[in-house]
Formats: sequence, structure tokens, C-alpha cells
Amino acid sequence: MIPVRCISCGKPISAFFDEYQLRIAEKEDSKVILDEMGIKRYCCRRMLISHVETWE
Amino acid sequence: MMVLEDLEVNGEEGSKMEIELKEKNENEIVFIIRNAEVPFVNAIRRIAMMEIPKIAIEDVNIVKNDSTMFDEVLAHRLGLTPLFSNLEVIEGLVMSEDCDCDDHCPRCSVSLTLNKTGPENKEDIKVVYSKDLSSTDSKIKPVYDTIPLLKLKKDQDVELEAVAKLGFGKNHAKWIPTTVCSYKQYPKITFNEDLEVDYECAEACPRGILKTDKRSKKIKVNNIENCSMCKSCVRASENDYINVGYEKNNFIFRLETDGSMDPEEVLLKACDVLSEKAEKFITFCKGGKV
Repeated sequence: MIPVRCISCGKPISAFFDEYQLRIAEKEDSKVILDEMGIKRYCCRRMLISHVETWE
Repeated sequence: MMVLEDLEVNGEEGSKMEIELKEKNENEIVFIIRNAEVPFVNAIRRIAMMEIPKIAIEDVNIVKNDSTMFDEVLAHRLGLTPLFSNLEVIEGLVMSEDCDCDDHCPRCSVSLTLNKTGPENKEDIKVVYSKDLSSTDSKIKPVYDTIPLLKLKKDQDVELEAVAKLGFGKNHAKWIPTTVCSYKQYPKITFNEDLEVDYECAEACPRGILKTDKRSKKIKVNNIENCSMCKSCVRASENDYINVGYEKNNFIFRLETDGSMDPEEVLLKACDVLSEKAEKFITFCKGGKV
């Protein structure tokens, strides 16, 4: 499961995780998605970009 | 050792502190403070992070948890889920230390319950979200509905009661209302006009603040507030044409919250806490009992 908040700054990035995953599945550009969701710091961006969901 | 120069008050005589709003949206506020001191601005920053009461889940009574997630991990995730704690919402709630009840009561806490059963189908996985938390107080609920808390398979249930209490950021990160709360001194970029113009330094700027203007043989500065004072331009310049410094008494303050309260409210409360502390000094100096 994705951490609830960004490990560095504490922004609740997990709230955007489902939308991010859905849009990635639709082959959208990661940069565009993150910019549109207003995640601008690189600490928060890496949380979504680098997350691997292992719980299946 | 404190040097006398450090004690110099506000540069010019009679200059008063001014605040100018730069940017504002739902969760973020950026403003410029002019003619202020580092200790003062830092006091505001530290209080905004550490000493603002906010509500967060503190105790979790787990009745049933069949999922593969450990109880303590689930409790930790619940704790970090931001809950609405506007001043209006938390009004009337007291800190649990100040309450005369044994454990928790409606006067010092809000209880949230989570009751979910797994999917019907064996292959399915059901995600439990923060919106599934039902609160006894309609105003105190998770800020975001889409925070995934745990996953359930067929025949797995979760049943728990979470008790949210007021607390301070200095005790746990879940009670910190801000994500980014920082200030920097106002950047000041100066050019040595006696020397030859060095266009190299403009290209070195990673944020594209410096623009070369070959017609007037100058380097122009765009949006100086975006300057991170990395001094890449100074290093790229072969002569000392460019210099990056800062204005000692002017600050750019940025405050972003996790959504649980408005940024202005955080500032307002921070000022309240600071003046309360100053008030104690006043009573002390007047010989009163603190």
C-alpha cells in the first residue's frame, strides 16, 4: 500500500493515488498527470512515480 | 556570542513591518514580510508547525481485522489520515490531558468507526478508503475521501473504533497542520557595471530567471522571487560581474497545509499562541503570578 503521506514533506499524496494509477493505465504522461493534480515538489512526485503495489 | 551588529533593529530608523500577499489558494499561502527579524519570523514558523492544536486519530480499538495488514500498521495509517480541524470545528473540544475523564469522552474526543466486509467474489479485492470511516461528529471527518487504508479479500472483515483527539505537532507528526512551512530571505541580484557583461552566467540559471538582452548589453532579471540563491550563475561567471545576495530583513514566507485547516487559520492561531506567551512575560514583569 502506498504511504498515506509523502515521507519528506507530509502532503497526503495517497489521496491522488487511484486517479494517478487510472490515468497511467490509460497511457497518459506521468508529468502531465502530476502537474494537473498539483503535486509540484519532487519529494511528493517520487512517492507516486516510484511506488510499486505489491499487495495483490 | 552575540555581536552588537546582530542586535541592530530593522536597519533604517522608523521602518515598520509590512506584509504583502503574493499567492493564495485553498491550501497554500505565500506572502512577503518586509522589515522583520529572523528570530521573529522563525518563531511564527516554529509555532505554526509545532504548537497549533489539531485533531488526529490517537487510539484505535480493533475489534476484528482479518486483512493481511497488521493492526499497528493500520492504526498508523489511520493516525496519519488528515481530519478537518478548522477552528470552528474543534471549538468546544478540550485537550485530553485537561479533561477530567478517565480515558476519553465526547468532551475531549471524537469517535470514528470503520465496518467493512470483503467482496463476494473469491478473485476480487476490495479497497477500504478513508470515506468509509463514519464519524459521530458530522464536521470532523477525513479531508480526503480517496485515501486507501487497507485491502480485503473474500471472507475478510474489518471492524474498529478510532478515537480522534486534539494534539500538538511537537508530540507527533500527525498533529502537524502544515506540510511546507518555510521562509527565505528576499534574493538580491546585483551586477558590477564596471566589468564586461558576462552572458555565460545567465545561461547557468537552472530556474531561467536571468535573461540576456543583447541590445542593451545587459542581463535582465525575471521574477526574482523564484531565485533559489543556488549561485550557479556566480560560479559560471569568469569575472565577478554577477553577485547573488539577500535582503537581510525581508522574507518570502510560504505556508502549505495538509487540508485540515486553512493556511490563514494556522497563521492566526500561531500569532495567538505567540502573544499568549508574551502575555505571560508581561504578567511576570508586573510581579503577577504566571
